[in-house]
Amino acid sequence: MNTKRDLLVLFALAGWALAVPHYGSEFAVSMALTCLMYATLSSSWSLFCGSTRYLSLATSAFFGIGAYCSALSLEQLGWLGAIGLGAAIAAAVAVVMGAAVLHLRGTYFAVLTFGMTELIRHAITTWEKQVTGTVGRVLTVVPERDTVYLTVLGLAVLAILASILVRRSRFGLAMAGIGADEQRAQTLGVNTRLVKISGFALTAAFAGAVGAAMSVRWTYIDPATVFNPFIGFQTVLIALIGGAATLWGPLLAAVVFSLLAETLRLQLPQLYMMTLGLLLILSVLYLPGGLASLRRETFTMWRDDIRSGWRELRAGKAKKVPA
Amino acid sequence: MSTRRTVVQALAAAPAALAFPSLVRAQAAPVRVGYAIARTGPWTTGAQVSQEPNYLLWAEQQNAAGGLNVKGTKRPIELISSDDQSNIETCVRTYEKLMGSDKVDLVLPPWGSNANFAVAPLANRFGYPFLAPTALSRRLIEMKLPYFFLMLQQPKPMMDALVDMLKASGAKSAAVIYVDDLFGLENYAALKVALAGSGISLVEDKSYPLGVKDLSPVLRSMKDKNPDAFIGLTYPPDTILASKQAKEVGFNPKFFYASVGTAFQLYRNVMQAGAEGVLGMGSWNGKTSAGAKAYFDAHVKKFGAAKEPDRWASGAAWASLEILTAAVAKVGLDRKAIRDYVAGGEHNTILGKIKFAGSENVGTPGTVSQWQKGEFEVVWPKANATAPLVPQKPAWV
Amino acid sequence: MTAGAWLELIASGLITGGVYALVALGLNLQYGLMRILNIAHGEFLMVGAFLTWMATTQFGISPLLMIPVAFALLMGAGLAVHRLVFRRLTRTSPNLDVFEARGLMVSFGLMFLVQNFAQLLWGGDLRGYDFLTEPVAIGSAQFAANKLLLLALALAFSAALIVTLKKTLYGKGVRALMQSPTGAQLVGIDTERLHPLMFGVGLGLSGVAGCLLSMTYTISPSMGEPYTVTALIVITLGGFGSMSGALVGGLALGVIEAVGMHFTSPSLKSLLSYGIFIAVLLWRPNGLFARK
Repeated sequence: MNTKRDLLVLFALAGWALAVPHYGSEFAVSMALTCLMYATLSSSWSLFCGSTRYLSLATSAFFGIGAYCSALSLEQLGWLGAIGLGAAIAAAVAVVMGAAVLHLRGTYFAVLTFGMTELIRHAITTWEKQVTGTVGRVLTVVPERDTVYLTVLGLAVLAILASILVRRSRFGLAMAGIGADEQRAQTLGVNTRLVKISGFALTAAFAGAVGAAMSVRWTYIDPATVFNPFIGFQTVLIALIGGAATLWGPLLAAVVFSLLAETLRLQLPQLYMMTLGLLLILSVLYLPGGLASLRRETFTMWRDDIRSGWRELRAGKAKKVPA
Repeated sequence: MSTRRTVVQALAAAPAALAFPSLVRAQAAPVRVGYAIARTGPWTTGAQVSQEPNYLLWAEQQNAAGGLNVKGTKRPIELISSDDQSNIETCVRTYEKLMGSDKVDLVLPPWGSNANFAVAPLANRFGYPFLAPTALSRRLIEMKLPYFFLMLQQPKPMMDALVDMLKASGAKSAAVIYVDDLFGLENYAALKVALAGSGISLVEDKSYPLGVKDLSPVLRSMKDKNPDAFIGLTYPPDTILASKQAKEVGFNPKFFYASVGTAFQLYRNVMQAGAEGVLGMGSWNGKTSAGAKAYFDAHVKKFGAAKEPDRWASGAAWASLEILTAAVAKVGLDRKAIRDYVAGGEHNTILGKIKFAGSENVGTPGTVSQWQKGEFEVVWPKANATAPLVPQKPAWV
Repeated sequence: MTAGAWLELIASGLITGGVYALVALGLNLQYGLMRILNIAHGEFLMVGAFLTWMATTQFGISPLLMIPVAFALLMGAGLAVHRLVFRRLTRTSPNLDVFEARGLMVSFGLMFLVQNFAQLLWGGDLRGYDFLTEPVAIGSAQFAANKLLLLALALAFSAALIVTLKKTLYGKGVRALMQSPTGAQLVGIDTERLHPLMFGVGLGLSGVAGCLLSMTYTISPSMGEPYTVTALIVITLGGFGSMSGALVGGLALGVIEAVGMHFTSPSLKSLLSYGIFIAVLLWRPNGLFARK
């Protein structure tokens, strides 16, 4: 763990990203923006979920909350205010959600966060339709594209910076401990409840901020678009494929995916989604540590696996499987 | 030295020589018209019946006559289109690209109130006039966007016409279902206002989500209450679902009204004899005017007898193209001038005279149509009617 | 509302509930036995529906005939998926928690893959065909014949599964494995063979559910997800691993939804379902019927 090296790499990348709006085409900027958005989302997701191994599918909820806050308050609070509000409210919701569900583990937690996300989506949809009688919100006053870009870039840098710093801190170690063996961490004196809720809230704050920033890209937001569960799925996918427990994995995967997304999504959306699905399956099966854990040994391991697989097939016998 | 002069002269002459063929070609430079439309997803039925075929027919007709008349010069139309997958985000991004980076000459709108609501601010931002034939929204009109024009009659005139007709026919009670989409919500609000003080009581009202699979419980409880009129503020898939399931549960009110989709040939195909007497949103058919008949025949000729234009939005779509064509012929491709032409004048179209007050078409009145012997006849108001109202729908067959 | 109307309402709730139960049973089998939470379950339901639709509209094969065919085809698919994907996971996962998490993620990927493949193949539009749509009068109530058939067959299949699990040797083996994997293996029950088989049966059931659904409702490639979610809600209500709990839970959820929609609006159905889901997960995470 070389903090100085990581910080240097971060600032180099940030500088490069800063140059894009000036020299890049419309398409390049759009792609860079998507990339930064997912980099922020997946880095902040892995910050908590990667180390504690609590798989949260609630990202879409926080993103959507941020987007709605921004849409509703942009005129009164101004740009930075709206983003701050989005982050704050998302974090608040996360604290409530976390207090209620963070005592459950594994699949329960994942399914529950998914259920809560959908519940929030349907609740807001119903509110919009039955109470306010509208279907969505139109954003008529939007900041410049460059402002949005810089903000999202700032958030991305902040997310990765947070990752770098948290890893070294006691907080990060506590989370890793929870991920390794929660009961042992508790006996060793870690206040697991507090750590988990704080981590969850931190993730949510970033997601909310990004949602608030990205809402202006859409001129018109409705619950179906901003609470789209796919945002959460894609975040998790990217983090997992990149390597949820690593620092640079999510960023790496985010770059790959925004490339795929911008080139494939508008023309061949099914192919894009199928690729995502296939990549996820392959990565969980063959590369559970993610892209960032790819090493020379991994390739030799695969080669050996394939060889032994062939031998099996020819011999026609199955290996003994442990229960 | 003379060699150099020759070279310089040749070099000087070259660009002119190159320019010459392009000067000739410039006369035929295409008019690029861009749009996104639903070819997959829940909006497809509507989009592929009411809207896209008209765009294609228009381009074909204009090009067959030598091209679109741009202030005297004929230029071929080049359609640049893509599938918006019934997804608002895809729609918005596509139009941003068409207007922002591709900078096409003209744009045509997408299908549906929702999508149009989403792209309307864009129309204004980039300064492209939109004449939308498949959008209904009072809120859109309230936004007072100078570049956006709604061709269809808005909720208030349509619901007023419906309620007037029901009142005149002696109906005393009604049950309503509405899709909880912008279309349904706005029509429902307008309906409630129209019903107030009309003497018709609302015995049940339920909203349902787009893509609902089963309306039979709702229809069953309505049957129980025995209203005179059933009013469905529905989209094509739900229009058909409601009709089929009403038959399934034996719900036979005197007046059965559904919305988008009743005007489609598809409705007649699916319901067959059961379509007789069903009321819906329609504003024209081949009998409305000579121009309407010509359009009907041309549509059937190009797309086949199995693909008639629908008796509501298709007509509005064609009318919008007629207005656009006239505008371009008069003022060319200056989009601000086109907008002013559309906003200011009175236009002759297959639907009659159309003129705009702000974004709203105030030339076409609210109408109600009814399926009679295989044709969707306009039955209200009497001034526009192509056939008289049959006041009792026979039981479902 | 008259008594007759109430009966009709509850009956229509049971009809939807029957399908929920069938789908939930398949999911429950997979989770209870193998701790595989197959989020892609609904997608296979969709595949069953589309295969039936294709067979009926293009080859004129009766949907009733497609029921066993759909079951067989999807069971085969289940065997293949298990062999290709989940077997490796069993081998490489260090402990059960990790296996569950990875299984979840993999089925995620499967969901994307299958749903979009179907969309590529068949397009995103609604499809349907008419089968037995004549209304059948029972007392003062009127139902479409296909809906009654749907209920009957769903209940029949669910009952068949439960009986199989209780009475046959294979079934007892499965239940033993659910109770205690190590113990069962010690007694000689072969997980190697039972796991893929049961995974296949689970998918086969969802294929049958899809086939039945295609007879009564319109289908589209995105129809699977709501059923997966509903199945999740049902097995949460009924208890993870409890077969009869899934049956009762499914029917109950169907009725609750029908009654709820009657008093509010169909628009609120999702809100209602998710509300119940979260409430049960928070209050009784082991299900309403679980024995402590």
